[in-house]
Amino acid sequence: MITRVTESTQLASAYRNIQRANSELARLQEQGSSQQRFARPSEDPVAAGDSMRLRKEIAAQTQYGRNIDDGNAWLTSADSALTTALDLLHRVRDLAVQGSSGTNSSLSREALADEVEELRDELLTTANTQYLGRSVFAGTSDAGVAFTDDLTFTGTPGATVERRVGPDSTVQVDTDGQAAFGSGADSVFAALDRLATDLRSGAEVGSHINVISDHMSNVTGVLSAVGSRQARLDRQADANLADLTDLEGRRSEVEDVDLAKVLIQLQGQELAYQAALSVTSSSLQTSLLDYLR
Amino acid sequence: MSTFAGLNTALAGLNAARLGLEVTGQNMTNVSTAGYTRQRVDTSTIGAPTQVSGYLNALRAGQGVKVDQIERLGDTFLEARVRSAATSAGFTSTRAEAMLAVEDILGGTGEGSLSSTLQGFWSAWADLSNQPSEVAPAGVVIEQAQVLSDQIAGAYHHMEDQWTASRDRLTAQVDQLNTAASAVAELNAQVRVGLAAGANVNHLLDERAQLAANIAELAGGNVSHNEDGTIDVLVAGNPLVSGDTANRLQVVGATNISQLPGQVAGVQWANRPGVSANLNGGKIAGSVSILAPASSGGPIATSAQALNEVATTLASTVNAIHATGATTDGTTGLDFFALDPSSPAALGLSVLPTSGDEIATAAPGQGAYDRSIADAIAQLAEASGGADEIWTRHVSRVAVDTSTALSQANLADGALGAATGAQLALTSVSMDEETLNLMTYQRAYQGAARVMTAVDEMLETLINRTGRVGL
Repeated sequence: MITRVTESTQLASAYRNIQRANSELARLQEQGSSQQRFARPSEDPVAAGDSMRLRKEIAAQTQYGRNIDDGNAWLTSADSALTTALDLLHRVRDLAVQGSSGTNSSLSREALADEVEELRDELLTTANTQYLGRSVFAGTSDAGVAFTDDLTFTGTPGATVERRVGPDSTVQVDTDGQAAFGSGADSVFAALDRLATDLRSGAEVGSHINVISDHMSNVTGVLSAVGSRQARLDRQADANLADLTDLEGRRSEVEDVDLAKVLIQLQGQELAYQAALSVTSSSLQTSLLDYLR
Repeated sequence: MSTFAGLNTALAGLNAARLGLEVTGQNMTNVSTAGYTRQRVDTSTIGAPTQVSGYLNALRAGQGVKVDQIERLGDTFLEARVRSAATSAGFTSTRAEAMLAVEDILGGTGEGSLSSTLQGFWSAWADLSNQPSEVAPAGVVIEQAQVLSDQIAGAYHHMEDQWTASRDRLTAQVDQLNTAASAVAELNAQVRVGLAAGANVNHLLDERAQLAANIAELAGGNVSHNEDGTIDVLVAGNPLVSGDTANRLQVVGATNISQLPGQVAGVQWANRPGVSANLNGGKIAGSVSILAPASSGGPIATSAQALNEVATTLASTVNAIHATGATTDGTTGLDFFALDPSSPAALGLSVLPTSGDEIATAAPGQGAYDRSIADAIAQLAEASGGADEIWTRHVSRVAVDTSTALSQANLADGALGAATGAQLALTSVSMDEETLNLMTYQRAYQGAARVMTAVDEMLETLINRTGRVGL
């Protein structure tokens, strides 16, 4: 049977087409104004899954970036403290050499001893360097100082402060104060105390020079370990930045809309909508009644 | 042949033309009435009277036109096609609407969604592991935990409300169905009486067809036409309307999502309680499937269960690690989250520590500012089977299910549009056609009137002028 065309069928069909053009127009407008490719996950489930995964990775990498910055600050302060300590020990060794020559009067020995004691106090302060309230050389301790006044090391052996820089990798950011300075009677401070005492008493101080040299090589060893960890953090920071840029690019690809494309589609769709409206209005106006007397 | 036979013939023509004009007028005025089926006058010719005696041998002409019936130009097959399309459209559109609402409650994937709050929570633990001695990061961890548990509880409450709203809608739909069924039964009685008396019942038939289409949209079903003009409506094999009697459906079962899965919300026949009506199409069946428990795939219950799982997993995984850690003053064995056993996990999740002193960040014996426990908790973000993974998987599944439901609804809508279009093509009024009919009947009336005038003049000549030759 040939399909009959009546006002009702024409109206229904016109309405359907206008509605379809309008809803497509609304969708493009929503995309253009929100810059999002999909407003709800059901519009593109695969992209929604990718978006969640990428956002999680971005959050993790941003956290690693923060950890790297924090770790860098720790290691930098450890680095400068150890460098200062090395300089102090150099000076002490020079004083020891000076004191070991036999041409010193008791007054000059007294002066040397005073200076050694001052340097020893400065060295203790350096060993108790803090970063944001934490002891750099005894990271997990809450005692406020790495070495107490009676030269006990407050840190826990084997306990380290680590910063997570990757899903499976961490970097130690504190330094073992015990390895650098010794502890108790074996510490460098005790050695300096003994040197000062010997200087005052006029005893032979030549043997102290080797002891101080040993302590200096300890400090140097720890300093180079800190340096290598800093280098590792720098490399990790570069990798982290590259990862973040890449992830952000992928996230934008998945979630964000290509604005130029949307604007062009929007123009085309507006035209389609206007065409539907004008065709409808011109075709529904004429009927047989217009032509009868 | 009777002298006045011509007049009778003309009168029959006038009557038929006038009836045709009236029916055309009826069609034209109802051009935009929803559900109106156009009507047409069926006429047939009246034949010449039979020869009764051999004496009067003259041929006789026919005796005019008679109207057989005012035909309603509907088609039961097209109506049946529209009904079945409406059934699937009702089912799929109800499901798609409800699933879109659930997806809105779950939030998307960007800022403000549950997955971004979870990420914020794990980041807070990572920051705390960098600075376990500071008050601010500990405060942030507690605050983020609070925000997280509030968001989970809020989403669960929305699910509860959505379930209750869907159940209310189901009750309203069943009421609509019952009203439509009893209206059809009443119309059946009127149609039967009208047809037996020979009256024109076309408007009753239109109304009844509309109601049958509404019933199909709500509950599906088959319509069978009886000899006396009544229809029987069978829904899922059981009679909803049978002649002039209508049966009722009622909503039974759970009134709150917390009563699932022990009690299930469903629809039963009022005259056969305890047996489910087993509707398989239409809006009512769609609503029942929305309210189904999680084990039967009901979307609201599934999302509520996922929220519970997220809360339970969060509490158990965080507490397992937290209990092995020590606070700054050395206490171990503390929990971070508490779950209230008397309410659903999503609502019963609460944060125990109120200050940094009650958060265990250190491994015991590694110094008070060790942070390995805090770091281990922060790593739960990546854990397989952890809260993040459960949530991500659920959001993806809901996205796929919703997208499927939407495309099914669009397809069914398109099919309904096509079926309705086919029906409208037959039943709707075309003004051009009716205008032509108008002109035709007008001319027919004028023609019959002319015939009557001609016969009248003829009779006048016969009666008044016979025998008056030359006068």
